Amino acid sequence: MAEFDCEETKALVHEYLHNELRPEDQKDITTHLALCDSCEEEYDLEVNLNKAITRSCDEDPPQQLAEKVLDFIRKSESN
Amino acid sequence: MSVVLDQAVTGRLLDSEPMTIQPSKATEDKIRDFEQQAIPLMPQLYGAALRWTRNPSDAEDLVQEAMAKAFVAWAQYQQGTNLKAWLYRIMTNTHINSYNKKAKDPSKGGLDDLEDWQLGDAKSLTATTSRSAELEALDNLPSEVIRKSLLEIPEEFRMVVYYAVVDGLPYAEIAEVMGTPVGTVMSRLHRGKKLLRALLAEYAREQGYLSTETNTEKS
Repeated sequence: MAEFDCEETKALVHEYLHNELRPEDQKDITTHLALCDSCEEEYDLEVNLNKAITRSCDEDPPQQLAEKVLDFIRKSESN
Repeated sequence: MSVVLDQAVTGRLLDSEPMTIQPSKATEDKIRDFEQQAIPLMPQLYGAALRWTRNPSDAEDLVQEAMAKAFVAWAQYQQGTNLKAWLYRIMTNTHINSYNKKAKDPSKGGLDDLEDWQLGDAKSLTATTSRSAELEALDNLPSEVIRKSLLEIPEEFRMVVYYAVVDGLPYAEIAEVMGTPVGTVMSRLHRGKKLLRALLAEYAREQGYLSTETNTEKS
């Protein structure tokens, strides 16, 4: 079982969040976070930052864009 | 058949009423396939295009151009593989070729080699703020501020942050979309988020979202 210290845990927080670690490493980080307030706080911050980014990027495309794209394609096909 | 027809009427009819020409059955099928599979992914493409171009009208143009290219290349798309990543990849190339000729500028090439201090080190900027205060400020910042701050970080970082965080693309797919190794995706994600955090902390401090560190401890 890999033992992650605080520095390693903080460095891997993104990979942990995005589920990019090997399952056993993912598990070890979970354990570390449960036992370490400082790392858990860092984790919470990254989670909140992700939430903030996601809520800020919620623009819908203009309504007619799909029609415009299809018209454009039909037009170039008939040329 | 329609090709002969097209050639026969080239010019006059195309200018006035192009839609009266009947496309061939094969073309009809291709358009229908594309409409059913690719068009529903357009909102995601538009979201990414906004991050590339930084404004709605250029984003619209970029999506339209990328979709037109995707349609032309439609036969090359392998059914069953990740269509969204395939479309993103086309859009990346379209953007780099037509909207961002400067991408080949050697002075822009070394971004990943820069040290943190050259990019502005987030740690030193946020060090004066307690993390719990920063955490709270993040929840209270207006979306507009976060959106604008994201547009301020370098493009390569911004796109990786967008694809990983908003789109939830796995690193391997981001690497494919961006045409970089997975290691570069990782470091761009880390540094992009760090820069963004620094920008937001700075804004929060200026605007009084982070008044003083002791604030939370007084009560």
